[in-house]
Order: sequence, then C-alpha cells, then structure tokens
Amino acid sequence: MRVVIVYSWARDTGAASVRADGSVDWRGGRTAPGEDDPAALAVARQLAEDTGGEVTGLTLGDGDASWVLARGVGSTWSVGDAPLLADDAATAGILAAAVRAIGDVDVVVVGDAAERAGVPAALAGLLGWPALLGVTAASAVGEAPGAAGTAGTAGATDGVGAADATAVRVTRPSPSGTETITAAPPLVLGVAAESGTHRAPGMKELLAARRRPVTPLTLARIGAGADDVTSRGTELPPAAPTRVFEGPPDQVAGQLVAALRAGGVL
Amino acid sequence: MSAGAGDVRPAGGPGGGAWLVVADAGWPAALRVARGTSSGVSAAVVGPRALADAVAAAGVPVLWAEPAGGTPAEAYAAPLAEQLAAERPALLVGTTHPASRALLGAAAALAGARLLTGAVAAEPTTGGTGGTDGTGGSTGAGGSAWTVRRTLLDGAVVETLDSPSPVALLVQGAGADDDAPPPAPVAGTVRPVAAAPAAMTLTTVPSAEPAGGLEDARVVVAFGRGVRSRDDVALIERLADALGAQVACSMPVADDRGWLDRSRYVGRSGRHIAPRLYLTVGISGAPQHLEGVRGAQVVAAVDQDPAARIFRVADYGVVGDLYEVVPALITALQG
Repeated sequence: MRVVIVYSWARDTGAASVRADGSVDWRGGRTAPGEDDPAALAVARQLAEDTGGEVTGLTLGDGDASWVLARGVGSTWSVGDAPLLADDAATAGILAAAVRAIGDVDVVVVGDAAERAGVPAALAGLLGWPALLGVTAASAVGEAPGAAGTAGTAGATDGVGAADATAVRVTRPSPSGTETITAAPPLVLGVAAESGTHRAPGMKELLAARRRPVTPLTLARIGAGADDVTSRGTELPPAAPTRVFEGPPDQVAGQLVAALRAGGVL
Repeated sequence: MSAGAGDVRPAGGPGGGAWLVVADAGWPAALRVARGTSSGVSAAVVGPRALADAVAAAGVPVLWAEPAGGTPAEAYAAPLAEQLAAERPALLVGTTHPASRALLGAAAALAGARLLTGAVAAEPTTGGTGGTDGTGGSTGAGGSAWTVRRTLLDGAVVETLDSPSPVALLVQGAGADDDAPPPAPVAGTVRPVAAAPAAMTLTTVPSAEPAGGLEDARVVVAFGRGVRSRDDVALIERLADALGAQVACSMPVADDRGWLDRSRYVGRSGRHIAPRLYLTVGISGAPQHLEGVRGAQVVAAVDQDPAARIFRVADYGVVGDLYEVVPALITALQG
C-alpha cells in the first residue's frame, strides 16, 4: 500500500499574533508542521507497516523536508512554489495535482487541522475518493467491505499476508463512544491528534535525513492553479475582547469572581 | 440520489440557491449562516429520519438519504455530490463534523466551489465568474460571487473574503447551540431519495468510561500542563469544590501523564462540552483543546503566559502563577 503523508502545508497559527488594529502578524508566514501532523505521520507509517508498503512525504511551499525524512520516511515531494491560500479547495487542488503526479497512491493522510478543516475534505472530493475525517488511528485489514466473506471483521492484517491487506480500518471518537469504519482504498484520511507528546528525532536521524531524496515539483509541472479568494483584511471580532486581570493574586482573584458574579455566571 | 430533485429546488437566490449539507446535530449553526444570505435554502440530509424531520421542521425542504444499517454517512458523499452539482448551488453550507465535512468536500469539488473554513456570515455580491475545478479551470457553476466573513486564530480576528465564484462554507456546529424553541413542524417537505453508497462498514462501540458528568455540568474547571505534579491536582479539586464544578483536563494530562481518566479530557478527540462557565487553569489553549469547548457560554482562564492562545478566546483572563491565583480564587469564592 503506497501512502502519502501531507505535512507542513499551512502556516503555524500558534506563531501568529494579533495587533491592536485587528491585523495579524504571521511572523514571516512560513509553513510549519501542524498540531496534527505527527499523528498523521504515525497513521501513515502504521498503514505502510501493515502492508509492507511505503510512505511518501508531500509538502507545500517552504515546508522543511527534514521534518518527515528524519522520522523514517524514505522520500518526499515538495511543491516549492505553492503559495499559502485562504481557499481550502484551492490548497486541496494543489495537493490533488501533486498526488496525481506522484502516482499509484492508495491512501493520502493529512493532519485534520481545525483552522483548515476543509482541506482534507476538498482533497478527497477533487481526487474523487472517499474521505474519512477526525480519525485517530488506522490499520490495514485483510478484506474490503463488500468483498466475499465477512467484511471488516479482521484485526490489523490478522495473520493475512501484506499483499492480502486490501482495506483500511479507522477509528475515531464519537459522542457515544468509538466509531470504527472499514473502507477500501483509495482513501483520504484526516487525522486528529490524540496525544500531545511526540518524540523528536535525534542527531543521527537528522543527518540521515539529508541523504534521502526530495523531489521538487512546481505548480506548472503538476498543472495546478493557485487562484485564491481575495482578502479585505482582518479585524477584531464585534464581541467584547478578553477582559484581562493583572496584578497581585488576591486582587485579580477577587476581580474575576466579582465579574463572574456580576455577569450572573456564578 | 436521483429521484425528485426538482421538487425541492429553492425558490430564490443566486444560481441554485443555498444548500445545507447535514449529517450531524450541529446543523442549526449552518442554517443560520445560510439563511443570512437571503437565498432560498434547501437541505440534503444523510442520516436517520429524525434528523431529516428536524431540518424540515425548520422550514427547509429536504432531500433525504437514509444510510443502510452499518453504513457511515461518508459512503454517500459521491451520490450526494452528483445530486447537488445538478442543482448548480451558489452556496453550500455544512458543519465541521467529520461526516458533514466529507459530504461537503465532495459536493464542493463537483460544484466547482471554493471552500472556506470558519464561516460566520455570507452575502451574495455581483460580478461572479463561475466556479473553479481545482486546477484553475472554470465550470460556470452558479455564476455568483460572494463576500464571506470568517473567524481566524480561534476567533481572535474576523476576516472578510471576496470570492468571484460559488462557495462552500464550513461552520462550527454545536449540538446544543440552539436555545430558541423549535419551529412549528412543516409537513411534507422530506423527500426520500435512493442513493448507492460506497462500500464501507461502520460499527460503534459505546464508551465504557462514564463522562463523569462533564456533558451536563454547569461549571467545569479544567487544568493542563501548567499543573506541575500529580499531587497538585488536589488544589484544582479544591477550586472545583468551591465552584460546585466538575474537573476536566487537557489531552496531555490524561493521555501522556495519566493523572485523570481519559473520559475527563476535553478536546477535538475527547469530550465536547457546553458548560455555562469553563474555567481553565494552566492550559495554553491549543486548537485541539478549544474545539471541545466551543459551546461554553463563558470562558475564564488562568495562565502565567500573557501571550497564551487561551486568552484569544476567553471572556476573562487572569495572568499569573496558578499556584498563587488558585488559592486566592478559592478564598474569594468562599468569601
């Protein structure tokens, strides 16, 4: 099973700061690994391991290829001139064109970032593949739904050979418990982080990453456009901004409790 | 989906009007945005009959596909997209729920619509040039232009965007965000349609871990990695007692440190709660966490970092060392 992990495809919202006039300082606007990228990579690696397949990286713009190469991925592709776009469908259009250029892809795994929640959904739509989003784990299973026999009852490869793993089983939380969905590739998986701690690669792994191939792509080569919507800019929301109390602990604690009581919250 | 589509074509609005895509209970938030455009609104619903009836009761004509047993809503994305593309939608609106997003993504791609996340309002403008097909080509779908307002950075700012072509909007839904009484039922507006789903199977295992009353709590105190040791959780519990609150935590506290049961962590992949007051202590406010508490009426935060993301979304913020502020809060509450 060939799995593509999409990483560092959006700006780091944590690095942005809001100025007093409501404009946003993106601190250079570089792409950065998202909060969900490590979880997405873990899912991609699991699927490849289950099937004896491979993981290929894909990043946009100035995304740092070493992030994924130092984490065990053998090769990566980079659309270096891809701009950062407001339109999630346009971003997905570039990713879809890159996936087609890579070719023979079974599963695309993308971090399911809340701020760019449309990207994995639009990517699946543009590829014409099903999307399973909000996923927290995935494994390969031996039989696809709808195939002869009992569909979706096997565990991760469950003793079948890697070549027999024809479907993907994902799990995700739901309000009532845990959902398990089994589907056959090709698929787009949007993966949401479930763990906040991830191991950073060591120096040996970082050095090894330098020897692994990065295939450059351009918008022209993959036939992708970068047409975007037009931003008129940002402003502070109409709601009252955060009322911040600073000072001695006794004073600020009293102010907060008084405000909550005055507002009828307590 | 193929039968009876013409019977629910909306009466007004640009292009084929606004279409609501529904697969979860958070749809009222999306409907508010759709109705704000003054377009005629129709809905495509994938889910149980009760969900279709609820949408229809809001006065919206509904195309309804009922998933076969053990089949997820996502399996209907392709036939739903074909159905909606035939309607030439000028606007598609759905929620960020995973299944709704999958349906909306497929529909947006086939309709050649832009897709914008975090939408809070939209209005039609003039000068549309038709949709895009994702590669820069034009599909001509709808032929309408839109101005969209959306939130960025966890609601810290509102951005205004102009699109020359049809748009699909993702709206943050919340299951319990409608305080208004339900509208009077409108009879005869749900039209079942046949649809051939993709081959998928769905099973749901009910949670074995009780939520600890978080879903129903009026007040919740949640703590994060700012709490330094397991013994210090007792301090948070004393604050919760003073507030009559339930105790929750951020993902790392439950998942990495194991200080609380996983049923107590709030976030996108954890509990989604909507208390009257959500008080955070030592939580920086990662998007993953904030998504689980968007339904809270009032958010108050204690954190020593004045630049913490939690202060972008909180109604009240206290900048200070939690080990000094929390005891002071307990004293103030008891006073």
